[in-house]
Amino acid sequence: MSKIQEVKEKVEIGKTKLVAGLVQEALDEGNAPGEILQAMVDSMSVVGEKFSSGEIFVPEMLIAAKAMAKGVDVLRPLMAGDTSASLGTCIIGTVAGDLHDIGKNLVSMMIESAGFTMVDLGVDVPAERFVEAIKENENVTLVACSGLLTTTMPALKEAVETIKASGLDVKVIVGGAPVTPEYAAEIGADGFAPDAGSAAVKAKEMVA
Amino acid sequence: MLTVKQNLKEVMTGGNPDRFVKQYEFLQMIMTVPSGRIKPQLGEEVINEWGVTIRWPEGQIASFPVHDAQHIVLEDVTEWKKYVKAPSMERPAGAWDQAIADANAVDRDNKYVAAFIAPGLFEMTHYLMGMENALMSFYEEPEAMHELIDYLTEFELDYAKALVENLHPDAILHHDDWGSQISTFLSPAMFEEFFLESYKKIYGFYKANGVELIVHHSDSFAATLVPNMIEMGIDIWQGVMNTNNIPEMIKQYGDKITFMGGIHSGIIDHPDWSQEQIAAEVKRTCEENGKVYFIPSSCQGLPGSSFPGVYEATDVEVEKMTKELF
Repeated sequence: MSKIQEVKEKVEIGKTKLVAGLVQEALDEGNAPGEILQAMVDSMSVVGEKFSSGEIFVPEMLIAAKAMAKGVDVLRPLMAGDTSASLGTCIIGTVAGDLHDIGKNLVSMMIESAGFTMVDLGVDVPAERFVEAIKENENVTLVACSGLLTTTMPALKEAVETIKASGLDVKVIVGGAPVTPEYAAEIGADGFAPDAGSAAVKAKEMVA
Repeated sequence: MLTVKQNLKEVMTGGNPDRFVKQYEFLQMIMTVPSGRIKPQLGEEVINEWGVTIRWPEGQIASFPVHDAQHIVLEDVTEWKKYVKAPSMERPAGAWDQAIADANAVDRDNKYVAAFIAPGLFEMTHYLMGMENALMSFYEEPEAMHELIDYLTEFELDYAKALVENLHPDAILHHDDWGSQISTFLSPAMFEEFFLESYKKIYGFYKANGVELIVHHSDSFAATLVPNMIEMGIDIWQGVMNTNNIPEMIKQYGDKITFMGGIHSGIIDHPDWSQEQIAAEVKRTCEENGKVYFIPSSCQGLPGSSFPGVYEATDVEVEKMTKELF
């Protein structure tokens, strides 16, 4: 089995203590950093699909993302300034009045694993803060807004409307337990995802 | 007309109830128990009895544990012995008096004297460590997680001992949320590995000491954990969300466990609630899930609602469905 294939397999099963060493070995064998990174991105796509289909659960997804992060740490110094693999910056946050962060963190991890640079605004984020963050950061291609409560659905709507009204050229994806595809369309979002695995797939599609 | 207790028993045994059980009507919660729990009021932040910072900000419907770097109790589960200290079970003289008086005042022929226990074992792991950290530790440090859960189990058993000695409850309502709306947090295999034996000990202890009814609250999807619930000794799973296939679960497991829920709190319990909305939701759940092995109830973990009036309005609609369907 090639080293790169081994990296791919170990990321998928979340071998957090092995991946950094394997990435280094893959580099030593002459594989390009971009190629190794792509292998890990591919692994996380598989992880996302398995999570969406109920084959694996949150812990498995978390340790896979952690394993990939360990591998990325090894590659980062070698890829400084190389933006060819990046899908741009994604601003993420849970909307105003809502303090839920677990689902948002999972989505953030999975979107990052798909190749985005993440800027996490945290929870209870006012609509205007999303717009400020788009302006403050470079190459923002996507904004992900999360809402977990039926009572904060109006805040989700306000966030999407405020971002769209700013005229900035970004796509907006929304999600969270009470959010439906119909509601997402109704409030003007460009995309919707029902879970973290699908969010990564959708995010890639939206900026392609 | 059957008593509340008789009617519940008919529901749970697949017999002939004469009406729907109205949510929590069969449990008389004794909330004056000196549990030692430290909880914030709206707008407050407290450090609870385990050292966990709990915050309830204005405008929110519940409190949250705080897990930033300054507040987290346990960052590395392998160090749990250093940082996790169970609260004392000692109580001052007379601490139980009010709870005992409240229990004595209950018509036990009609209702179950019930003790409330929360948070449960799984919730305690993420209260102490933060959710992501706890979930990863099940994989990365399984031995330490087993040790921590054993320690938490011993604490629960000590608390159970105090409850049965002082209160002699007929029932317990025990919280531990095991999933999100659409999935369990852990795979069924991992859940079984880490939690089945502990809960068998805890619920087995209650059953061996006069507790007739184990009601477990998990307002989530957890259909895949029902076989474990039965093995643990749970009589009623409360908080069953509609994301579970309730009719199918009733068909498959109804003779061993009763399902309480089916009314989505997110649909009925919000600032703009209406009687019509509640009526539609109660009608749907009663018609879909039937008269036995099922108790129509909101998924709230105690009798009550986030927004005033919703719980009582739900009872009214359950009564209407009794008139319509019985």
